Amino acid sequence: MRMLSRGLSGTLKWLFLIFIMLTIILPIGWIMISAFKTEVQIIRYPPHYFATELVLKNFQTLFKRAPVLLYIRNTVIYVVLLTLGQLLVDTMAAYAFARMDFRGRHVLFTILLAAMMIPFQVIMIPLFIELSAFRMVNTYYGLVIPRLVSVTGIFMLRAYFATLPAALEEAGRIDGLREAGIFIRIMLPLCMPVLITHAVLSFNMGWNDLLYPLLMTSSIEKRMLANGLANLVGTDSTEYGPAFAGAVVSIVPALMFYIFGQKYFVNSIVSSGIKE
Amino acid sequence: MEYLKRLDRYWNKPRHAAYLFVMPAMLIVLLFSIVPLISSFGISLFEINTSLSNPIFVGFDNYSLALRDVRFLNALKNTLLFTLFDVPLQVIVALVIAALLPGKSFMDKLMRAVFFLPIVCSPTAIGIMWQIFLNPNVGWFPYMLTQLGLPKISFFKDMHIALYSIMFVSVWRSFGMSMTILVAAMQGVPQSLYEASRIDGAGKLKQFFNVTLPGISGTLWFVLITRIIGSLQVFDIVYTITGGGPAYSTETLVSYVYARAFEQSSRLGYATAMAEWLFLLIMLITVVLYTRMNKQEALDI
Repeated sequence: MRMLSRGLSGTLKWLFLIFIMLTIILPIGWIMISAFKTEVQIIRYPPHYFATELVLKNFQTLFKRAPVLLYIRNTVIYVVLLTLGQLLVDTMAAYAFARMDFRGRHVLFTILLAAMMIPFQVIMIPLFIELSAFRMVNTYYGLVIPRLVSVTGIFMLRAYFATLPAALEEAGRIDGLREAGIFIRIMLPLCMPVLITHAVLSFNMGWNDLLYPLLMTSSIEKRMLANGLANLVGTDSTEYGPAFAGAVVSIVPALMFYIFGQKYFVNSIVSSGIKE
Repeated sequence: MEYLKRLDRYWNKPRHAAYLFVMPAMLIVLLFSIVPLISSFGISLFEINTSLSNPIFVGFDNYSLALRDVRFLNALKNTLLFTLFDVPLQVIVALVIAALLPGKSFMDKLMRAVFFLPIVCSPTAIGIMWQIFLNPNVGWFPYMLTQLGLPKISFFKDMHIALYSIMFVSVWRSFGMSMTILVAAMQGVPQSLYEASRIDGAGKLKQFFNVTLPGISGTLWFVLITRIIGSLQVFDIVYTITGGGPAYSTETLVSYVYARAFEQSSRLGYATAMAEWLFLLIMLITVVLYTRMNKQEALDI
């Protein structure tokens, strides 16, 4: 009886997981395949999930219509700067909020929280005016610096820092480490998994950012992939193929970074296990 | 030299060093969030368009106008309805999956990677994907439904279900994020607690409620609060899938604000005033939840 119920709950578990998996794989797989279909195959009814012949024409059209490589280069520069910068700024702040007692801690943290609640559309116009005054529009640092704080990231890191044992700082101080040393040599290595998670999330945020880069980059030389793609879809909504190809081009690099992050994720857990 | 040493000793005390740690983040927030926020309040008191010329001072008229604007109230209703379903659904799905696949085995990781896939898709890609996949004329899914004998459904064109379709896409897109954060938290729960509870004879389900949930409660609150804030600000998938239609049935507050600010007959002051209403709403909800969270955390300790 007990084994039967265990078998049943095991089956339920897998049915549930497979159902969710299908809802994810089916549409993504469909767009990936459709990017290689001819226009005739895309709009045929009844629709076929798989294609009888695959062509690269949609990608050729896409690259002919827009400077996609330039968009990708811009996006990569923006995203790398953003990810590294966010990691630095966010971990420092999160560490202090989690493990240091200082005057005004609550007030400052509440200010951060309040900042997270501000809908971007509220501050978009004044922010643009401000960045123009600082001559930061159309520059990479202008794009990156205002975005360096991810309150969600700080929140997540803070929760993780708080779970580490309290004796760590004491041990570091006895060993003669300074506060910065404790942070860099003791805390950061212990946080590798959550740091990788944060990096993946920042990368992803930057890669898929739509409105903000659009607003802050008026010249086409600085345009990002997501905007360029949105423009392309906007101007040419009658033809599906190139739009699909654009979607695939925008998904694949982010996907590769995630897979890389996953691998690193595992390694970091393994190596921190060995050190213990 | 002596002075430098004293300075160094001063800043190396945890309660002083903390300020150096939080300074970069606080400076950036101050300059690029708080200052624009205050200026936006100024803008909301004016009748002004995107050319920023000829502003007319109208005081709080924009704020009271919003409360009499049917389109604003409709957008508010849609946003609240969206949040009410979207947040619990995606947090529960994320929590269940995290509980079913918490481990470090290859299979667990592979499946979690699949669940994370939607996060790496840009809103534009998601828009194209779902619009066509669920399109009644060329989409694969509606066709399969007709093969099962069901009627042809226009998921994004039928004003009675379009909002729910958007909710589905939102859950589909975001639960992987919450799942990843929850799994990281679950892996941080000390194994000794599980062993202790196993010795007490607790089953898997009991362990989940007695060990896992209390162990991740901080993170769970975090996920809940950030998801609510995110849902109340939902914009990009609405923008790329339905653009607020049909007949405003999927128009959310931020969509309306965006339309008012940047589409024809731009009214920046009015749009900003509506955005300020949204900000107030978000702040109210967050403060309530945050105080509850602190109360509960205090109880746990």
